Amino acid sequence: MKKRREKGNVFVIPAIIWIFVFTIFPLVYSFRVSISRVSYGKITGLAGLSNYIRMFGDYRFWGTLRFTLIFVLISVVATTFLGLGLALVFNRKMRGLKFFRSLLTMPLFTAPVALGYLGVMMFYEENGPVNVLLKYLGMGKVPWLSHPWWATLAICMVDVWQWTPFAFIILLAGLQSISDEIYEAAIIDTSSGWAVFRYITLPLVSPVLGTVLMLRLVDAFKVFDVPFSLTSGGPGTATRTLTFYIYTQGLRNFDLGYASAMAYFLLAITMVIGMLFFRRYRELYE
Amino acid sequence: MSKKRHGIVEILLWIVVVIVVLWVISPFYWAVITSFKKPSDVFRLSSIPWIQFQPTLNNWQTEFNQRGPEITRGLLNSVTIAVGASVLAVFLGSLAGYGLARHRYTKWRNQSMSFWFLSQRFLPPAATVIPFFLLMKSLKLLDTQIALILVNTTFVMPFAVLIMRDMFKELPVELEEAAWVDGCSRWQSFVRIALPLAAPALVATVIICFAFAWNEFLFALVLTYKKASPMTVVIAGTEHTQGVQFWYVSTRLLLAIIPPTILALTVQKYIVRGLTMGAVKG
Amino acid sequence: MRKMSLIVSVLVILGLLFSFSLVWAQEGASELEIKTADAAFEAADKGNPDPAWKGQKLTIGVYSAGPRGAISGPLYFWRPYFEKLTGATYDIVEIPFAELREKIFTDLMTGTGTYDIIVGPSWFYGDYISNDWIIPSDKYLNDPRMPKWEPESILPPLQELYSWGGKWVGFNNDHDGQVLYYRRDILNDPKWQEEFKKETGKDMPVPPKTWEEVYEITKFFHGKDWNGDGEPDYGITMHLKVAGQGFFHFMALSAPYVVSPAPGDDPKKVTRYHNVYWFDPETMEPLVNTPGFVEALNMLLKLSKTGPSAMWGWSLGEAWDAFLRGKAVICFSWGDVGSLSQLPDQSSIKGKLGVAPIPGSEKYYDLETKQWVEKRNFVANTVGASWHGVISKFSKNPDLAAYFLSWQATPTINHWNVVWGWTGVDPGTLYDLLQPTGKSTIEEYVATGYDAEDAKQFVSAYEEMWYKYPLKQSYLRIPGTPEMWEIWDIHLSEAVTGQVTPEEALNRTAEDWNAIIDRLGRDQLKKIYQEAIGYKPE
Repeated sequence: MKKRREKGNVFVIPAIIWIFVFTIFPLVYSFRVSISRVSYGKITGLAGLSNYIRMFGDYRFWGTLRFTLIFVLISVVATTFLGLGLALVFNRKMRGLKFFRSLLTMPLFTAPVALGYLGVMMFYEENGPVNVLLKYLGMGKVPWLSHPWWATLAICMVDVWQWTPFAFIILLAGLQSISDEIYEAAIIDTSSGWAVFRYITLPLVSPVLGTVLMLRLVDAFKVFDVPFSLTSGGPGTATRTLTFYIYTQGLRNFDLGYASAMAYFLLAITMVIGMLFFRRYRELYE
Repeated sequence: MSKKRHGIVEILLWIVVVIVVLWVISPFYWAVITSFKKPSDVFRLSSIPWIQFQPTLNNWQTEFNQRGPEITRGLLNSVTIAVGASVLAVFLGSLAGYGLARHRYTKWRNQSMSFWFLSQRFLPPAATVIPFFLLMKSLKLLDTQIALILVNTTFVMPFAVLIMRDMFKELPVELEEAAWVDGCSRWQSFVRIALPLAAPALVATVIICFAFAWNEFLFALVLTYKKASPMTVVIAGTEHTQGVQFWYVSTRLLLAIIPPTILALTVQKYIVRGLTMGAVKG
Repeated sequence: MRKMSLIVSVLVILGLLFSFSLVWAQEGASELEIKTADAAFEAADKGNPDPAWKGQKLTIGVYSAGPRGAISGPLYFWRPYFEKLTGATYDIVEIPFAELREKIFTDLMTGTGTYDIIVGPSWFYGDYISNDWIIPSDKYLNDPRMPKWEPESILPPLQELYSWGGKWVGFNNDHDGQVLYYRRDILNDPKWQEEFKKETGKDMPVPPKTWEEVYEITKFFHGKDWNGDGEPDYGITMHLKVAGQGFFHFMALSAPYVVSPAPGDDPKKVTRYHNVYWFDPETMEPLVNTPGFVEALNMLLKLSKTGPSAMWGWSLGEAWDAFLRGKAVICFSWGDVGSLSQLPDQSSIKGKLGVAPIPGSEKYYDLETKQWVEKRNFVANTVGASWHGVISKFSKNPDLAAYFLSWQATPTINHWNVVWGWTGVDPGTLYDLLQPTGKSTIEEYVATGYDAEDAKQFVSAYEEMWYKYPLKQSYLRIPGTPEMWEIWDIHLSEAVTGQVTPEEALNRTAEDWNAIIDRLGRDQLKKIYQEAIGYKPE
């Protein structure tokens, strides 16, 4: 068998080479930039750790980090649990389910840039569709785009709209793979639907839940397009994500050293969170 | 369980269906009606054509007459880039996925390697975009579809690796073992047995990767000027100094969603099956 | 299931075919447009195009607005004429507005040289000049090959934007500055005037001359149903969203509170304390948190209460829309509002437009004596982009580029662009102003679809501001300008949405500006700043 094991390299090596070629250079380059003084794209000297130190005194950095964390928390939790809820509701035989499911894939293909602009119309405060709907439901005028907290919520809603279907489809698939016999046995033992869910469904579906959470986490940390086109990060910097701030600092203001330092910080955060998750994921799987 | 209770559940279920469908559809509906509105009607509350506002074909006509070539080029570029990137990513990803599923690597553990692949998705794009620009410039690939195919492949491949790894793990290994006894090499068994069995999953992965590459905006913006600009950049072009041209956002959004939707609808059962296998059986 | 998806795909394809079948008659340039353009082409000076240019190709970078959109439109329109003239042609590369800076600066920074010509905003000059990225237009002014254009015809405050240190650097095209737009029909309506008097005890000041007067009017009209649609309407409409160009509002509004006339016989003289707006030219200390700015920001906040609160989240399109469809009685903005108001698709106020030069203030803050002076102060502004072309230093064919830009800058062609509102080229030269000051006539504007009175008000307002106002606000043209404006924009947005107090917002702006100045090099910026505003240390 030893010979075969060696041969396995053939399979992974192309992908590894590819990633080395296309990500190692950018990574090394931006690391070098992050410890340099850069002016208009030209490295003019060594900055040591000063770009990293600058981060700690930059209130805007902490503000964007705070928003990023709030956003990640709200939207990851909301998409996953809405997706799970819908998946539980639709985990049954019914007509038109497949059509329903493919309808739900449409948001995944909507370019987030366009979605943000569409949001400007949907969340229009003076008699926009969302506010009119809320008026019928007896709520007052909601300042969706002109108030920091509501703007945060608006961004989260757009993200939830786009990604709930993703969670739903994967989780539904997960649920449907649980065999009926397990349920039948469980229903004989207990009559409480909650108990069935808590002790049977949840443990069985949790590996999938882990995957969904993981993928959503990684992507939510990088969100850029929607705040960019819906609120431009405003009012003030209330809805600026860290990625957005890195982008502005690096590509608009060409303060590349600082931008790269922040990018490394963001990379570190996501890696740590990812690793913690992955460890848990591993425990569940192996 | 009584019949009556069953009926109530059924009704509740359909209420949920209706709400969810409305929730998903409403932005598209709004895009459709906005694309038929005069600019001065866009922010006036009106949602029913002919009754609340007089629809006009102006926006569509102007788009096709004045922006036709650009939009066609954008769509073609998007298709080329997304297809190219997803096929490449899935090709490399299925090889690596197969390796990870069937072999035990001694130098690095399989799990660490999987995580390493996934970790490529953590990279904040804003940090890598300038190095990529310089790289593509020195390779003379600026404003080419190739540059974007390469970049998108890099970003979607981790996804492909993980999904394909899970797919192959799920396939019964016995068939391949029988082939090895018959003298097939690993490579042959991969091509002749494993790949055909995983075909539906392969298609599904291509589609997911396609969606990611289709929506990519930042790199497309920086690495292209005109010839290779995909649809996302064309959409962003609706904002100019006289404000966002919402009516054109709507037309372009609708045009941009057509190709992937057709793709998704025609092969949707593969998507769902692929996702099922990938996510469920680790 | 397969049946279902088949049906859906067929439907989608049918829908597509249907929409493609909608494409019929080529719309676009009208007959009159072509006729007048042909005439302008004939009349314009053509210089002596070099035969060697035949078959060559330029690349022009411009923000994306399409073949009939503002600023990029005329480039498409004139291309066939240019081909006829020189045998050369050009590619137009459209860049999304929000990404203009990264795209163009990346190109210049890396010396890629994609663009021969950049049709950009004037706030790029600080970076252009300090990095030596462009070829000044001065070099070509007396070149016999080039068509003759008249830089001196550009109205004085705008000349500053096209020149650097006494030399011409850009090529005449667009002219931006904010003026006050109001509803002529409503403000002149005796019924409303009477009601105004009843409510405030004063005559309605029409048109309002100062921001204080503007506030009285917008406060009076806000919340009343003055357009008769059954809903309460707005007093003012502004755009204050981050990155929605809202800070230009504040820039125009604050000018009279901050810019003070120089003592002595020349009020226009730039001294350390007078006729300065951005920085103390001796120390590069930002002036943005001085009392004049604070007072102005309080005025902006007061004004913003007389409009829909939603405008804190608006960008300029939404704000103009509220004025153009008759929901707001006043707005202040660029020439675009004047030309858009004449388009039936976008506006319901054609024939009802009143235009006045930008209001002044009842008092101004003297930076030298550190005291308020209770005197009316009027300051012309050139806020905005004033989009115009420059030649990239990395161009492989700068002469041909210069030829194109000079030709577009000639009085006949530039004026043609101005009178046709869709080009987005706003008036700002002597040949755009009406006789006797200028050389144009009202008929020229009416011919392209303007209402006569609207056009007269429109052009005269600009004439008064740029030709007769005693003072002008200087334009910020130092490296880092876009970054400074962006930060300012954010802090202003924080102030209007109540996240911080006005003083705090402005103090933070000053702090951040100081940090940028120190990062980029205070002494170097000081030198460029002094050069840009024409300040000579005593």
